[in-house]
Amino acid sequence: MNGEGILPQEGAIIILRDIAKSYWRETLEIPVLHGIDLEIPRGGYYALMGPSGSGKTTLLNLIAGIDRPTGGTLQVCGFELNDLDDDELAGWRNQFVGFIFQNYNLVPVLNAFENVELPLLLSGLSRRERREKVEHALELVNLTDRMLNYPRQLSGGQEQRVAVARAIVTDPELLVADEPTGALDSKNAEEVLQLMERLNQDLGKTIVIVTHDPKAAHHARHQIHLEKGLLDKTIEVNR
Amino acid sequence: MAILLLVLAPFLAYLLWLVWALLAYPIPISYNLRSLWQRKVTTLTTAAAIAMVVGIFVVVLSLAQGLSVAFVSSGREDQALVLRPNARFELNSAIERDRIRILQVHPLLARDAQGPICSAEVVVVKLFPMADGSDSNVTIRGLEARGLAMRPQIRLLEGRWFRPGLSEVVVPRKMQGRFSGLELGRSIRMGGRAWEIVGVFEAGGSSFESEIFSDVNDVMQAFKRNSYSSLLARLDSAERLPEFTRAVDEDKRLKLEAVGERAYFKELTKAGDPIRVLGNLITFILTTAAVFAAMNTMFAAVASRTKEIGTLRAIGFRQREILASFQWEAIILCGAGGSLGSVLALFANGIQTGTTSFDTFSDVSFAFTITPELMLQGVAFSLVMGLLGGFLPAWRASRIPLTEAMKG
Repeated sequence: MNGEGILPQEGAIIILRDIAKSYWRETLEIPVLHGIDLEIPRGGYYALMGPSGSGKTTLLNLIAGIDRPTGGTLQVCGFELNDLDDDELAGWRNQFVGFIFQNYNLVPVLNAFENVELPLLLSGLSRRERREKVEHALELVNLTDRMLNYPRQLSGGQEQRVAVARAIVTDPELLVADEPTGALDSKNAEEVLQLMERLNQDLGKTIVIVTHDPKAAHHARHQIHLEKGLLDKTIEVNR
Repeated sequence: MAILLLVLAPFLAYLLWLVWALLAYPIPISYNLRSLWQRKVTTLTTAAAIAMVVGIFVVVLSLAQGLSVAFVSSGREDQALVLRPNARFELNSAIERDRIRILQVHPLLARDAQGPICSAEVVVVKLFPMADGSDSNVTIRGLEARGLAMRPQIRLLEGRWFRPGLSEVVVPRKMQGRFSGLELGRSIRMGGRAWEIVGVFEAGGSSFESEIFSDVNDVMQAFKRNSYSSLLARLDSAERLPEFTRAVDEDKRLKLEAVGERAYFKELTKAGDPIRVLGNLITFILTTAAVFAAMNTMFAAVASRTKEIGTLRAIGFRQREILASFQWEAIILCGAGGSLGSVLALFANGIQTGTTSFDTFSDVSFAFTITPELMLQGVAFSLVMGLLGGFLPAWRASRIPLTEAMKG
């Protein structure tokens, strides 16, 4: 990734202008998002909420560079994502975005250490440097004693913590999470949410999560409500 | 050639890119190995199918190889065979006695204390019963005592060599297993008389192990032949061969032609062509099936790991890295099967068999000969199967839209 288009450190890390997204089923256009304008400041913690089909996962995918809009512009972490080709976008994701998925999405044939190491394999770091970073990430999620365990040998909560470690191991500016507690019991869900809160408060990570769970949304500092592909309202969470 | 290169160029370029990708791309090969091991049953079934195909491929090649060894090891570089013009093979050739006498004193022949080194010989075929109850033509070679010495690969194992005028024969050990009634001390009937088997020999895997030897005059008498079939001539060195063949060709008295002994036997290796054609046909059919088996396995692997692919892509791996990773996985799968097949083919090594030469209409005994080169060819063949069978699934894996892949 080159540094072209990098914004000053202060200000919004995510800037969406008139974003639209449609899917096509043969000749039928299915609009999902319409004219979304949104700015998320660096270090913010936002929860995207709304009923099923409201477009929240689509919006998260656009912010994370997983999908491309059919209209509008989006700048994330200083890059105009529309200007990046697929390879550049892949490199950008590796460098700037950490992903946390509902079902953890760990690679079953790799142990916890190797799963966390995966994004670093693209970084050009030496084996020793990678080891240090992986151990540090696993320490942050309190799983250093399980680094040689395979996903099948871990509980759901532990698996999600490994996924969090994988998301932060490259020290990305932005963490995106799609229903990160959707597959966890309340105790493990609370642990993961507290961990994400710490990442936001202590390490200054910008976090955007998609959730249906009001408890999970309550950990965020802002809630963005979507309704039928439109931005409905943004609420500041009082705690 | 240019068209072939044009067709092969993209294939070779892709192969080079894959080798480069193996070294340069970050997805570790251990990921593929473990993924294969995780689906043990599918992996082992596919590998077994590939092993079977490669095993057959190597065994078929070993037949042609065995035949080639039999013929190529039969000839010497410094010996020539004189035949009737355009006869191509000894069986079709006839040389009158007066011409043989001219040849026997040819100045270019090598000499020792007994005089010029050459052997006038006659070749006939005779139907013999085989051990399995069928019949097959066998070559009977009548030769002079010198003829035995001119074939250093021939070694007497039991009994003694034949003596002229006594209707005696020596038989090769290899034929004893395949034909009935060829035991030492027994008699065989041919040319209206009984011939006693007085010796058993081997000939280092050469085609002489498909021939029964006797005295040239005895054979000519029994089979009522007035002419010889050929003259085997030793020269001072292999370098004299062109001079000798030219001299024979240009000698107006002879009207014969000479050919290098090794070149003559090389021509005979064409006897293996039907085996090769049939083998290639069977291999092609089985290979097509094996490529589809590998393809099916890899498509299943891609389908069951779609979410995994989505995760890899999301965290920054590029499409070409996914393509290379899955392509290598298919190559490893087929390579493992191919290695196993090549090793299993070793069990066929040394087994004796035979075929009928369409040139001489007689039986040729030879052994399945599995060489390290053939085994390597088998493994290389399996890698090509991996390349072909794995390409489409790997391409599919790399092209799944990211949003779809992440849904699984």
